[in-house]
Amino acid sequence: MARFIARRLVQAVLVILAATFLIFLATFALGDPFASSGEKAVPPDIAEANREKFGLDKPLPVQYLLYVGNMLRGDFGIDFDQHRPVSQLLEAAVPNTVRLAIVAIIIDVLIGVIAGVIAAVKRYSFWDVLVTVIATLAIGIPVFVIGVVLVANVSGWGPFPSVPRSFTVQVPWYQEVLLPAFTLAIIDAAFIARLMRGSMLEVLRADYIRTARAKGLSERRVIGKHAMRNSMIPVVTYVGVSLGVLFGGAIITETIFQYNGVGYLLSRAIVNSNAPIIIAVVVFSVVAYVLISMIVDILYAFLDPRIRLG
Amino acid sequence: MTTPTSAGPPADADATGSALLLPGPDAAASGTTVPLGARGSGQFADIRRRFVRNRLAMVGLAIVTVLIVLAIIGPYVTPYNAFEQNLANTLQPPSADHWFGTDVLGRDLFSGIIYGCRLAILVGLLTVAFSLLIGLSLGAVAGFKGGAWDAVIARFIDIFLAFPPLVGAIVIVRAVGGGVTPVIVALVALGWMTTARLTRGQVLALREAEYVEAARSIGADNRRIVMRHVLPNAIAPVLVYAFTNIGVVIVAMASLSYLGIGVPPDVPEWGRLISQATPFLRVEGKSHLWLAPALAIAITTLGFAFVADGMRDSLDPKLRGGN
Repeated sequence: MARFIARRLVQAVLVILAATFLIFLATFALGDPFASSGEKAVPPDIAEANREKFGLDKPLPVQYLLYVGNMLRGDFGIDFDQHRPVSQLLEAAVPNTVRLAIVAIIIDVLIGVIAGVIAAVKRYSFWDVLVTVIATLAIGIPVFVIGVVLVANVSGWGPFPSVPRSFTVQVPWYQEVLLPAFTLAIIDAAFIARLMRGSMLEVLRADYIRTARAKGLSERRVIGKHAMRNSMIPVVTYVGVSLGVLFGGAIITETIFQYNGVGYLLSRAIVNSNAPIIIAVVVFSVVAYVLISMIVDILYAFLDPRIRLG
Repeated sequence: MTTPTSAGPPADADATGSALLLPGPDAAASGTTVPLGARGSGQFADIRRRFVRNRLAMVGLAIVTVLIVLAIIGPYVTPYNAFEQNLANTLQPPSADHWFGTDVLGRDLFSGIIYGCRLAILVGLLTVAFSLLIGLSLGAVAGFKGGAWDAVIARFIDIFLAFPPLVGAIVIVRAVGGGVTPVIVALVALGWMTTARLTRGQVLALREAEYVEAARSIGADNRRIVMRHVLPNAIAPVLVYAFTNIGVVIVAMASLSYLGIGVPPDVPEWGRLISQATPFLRVEGKSHLWLAPALAIAITTLGFAFVADGMRDSLDPKLRGGN
């Protein structure tokens, strides 16, 4: 087990280093932010001073090393626009994103598992067809279409804050999080329902289920304990990947609902080409994604010995 | 009634598929003759029959066919130039003149949606074709050669998979520059890994097959073995995945344009149209602005998803959960 964890850890670190370097290269290729253009003339001495201030005068590999060194100390630089420390912006945004991710995951696991189990147990019934059709539709419809429909029809109604947001009204976080979490949960719940239905159908044919029934256990116990536990593995994997993506910021959903998480931070930074914020958020997303998939893999190996030996 | 429509379109879909791929379904049929000689072409007839019987898949096929036709003939049938702005005639509700109304720049929304369809189909097909090419090649090399090749390719796959997809695309598009081509480059760069993994797994399993040994014993070289014997037998699940991916790619492009990345602002791309409609989301009587592009995207992705599901179920009925 220790060897498995060590190997997975080294792998994660290498992937993070490679990915951050790619991000860094890609952003460097964006061009010189202090160059004169048609819209603005930058006096050469000021441009030079700014390049020096932001470290853009150093060779590329040095810039990368400096950047990684700074990141490890929690310093993501200051943004080009208003000269705020990027780490503060991240600190403000990350808790919102984490809340959104957790609420979304709870909603989608609840809906997905229940719907999947019902569909599998009552196979070919009305409920099965309903679950399958809704799941297919939900998976096919892009998240921002769902988001836009909800903003147009539901926001500003009942407990849901209106979009665009008014700056004068403070809304508690649990009201703020509802609609975006629900939007994110719809598609994931559909995937989970499908996975759960498929794996449940497989498990229900297994010998140990027949044994459990044969020894006279109640149907409730057979389904709830024996069948459900054994059909959760693909769901757990899916939730792991999904959590990784969500912790990195749901860019589209957060932007549609103007929800102050890292995704919305990123989309605003994109609009005004604010490179330090873009790099910081992208690095954050990648690191969150890689670390969470690593943790899920390790948990998984813990649960299923075949994986760590293989 | 379904038979004539169904006989044509699947052949079309196959033709587009095989044009992008080296061996194609015909080769697949001949490739399977050695181990599955008894079933041969009958296997394909079975697959087609299962597909045709799947109502949802046929609906999807109808949608996809209409979309492809629209994409081809689009510019010749649209009532207006999709780019032409008329600032004296903005935000009009749907009417006989403008079926879907006009947008914030006074452009005819119906023509814009048709243009967007052309763009979506073009980008979807090109991206998936290039991803297939890269994924199949790297996957086949990794699976067939093994050793250092496999290890290096696996690391590359890991690195590219480490990017949350949309985040990665944003980084790449911004690095390559604005426009449609950078969007395709970004989506290909982030779209080949699963194909490569799938192909690798398939090739790895088939490498030891008896007919591969037989081919080698009569002196076929690696290239011929991979192209004629291994890939044709490995390709079915890879093609299904690729088809599933067309919808994903179309949504990804729309998401990027929604965020203001890639496709230039004056192009009536679906995601862009939705983002331009955002200020009017809660305005009475302006819902056509977002409804038209939102429906267009939803119908398109659903169409491709239905066909992909049908393909998967008819290729391998077991995946459905058995009978």
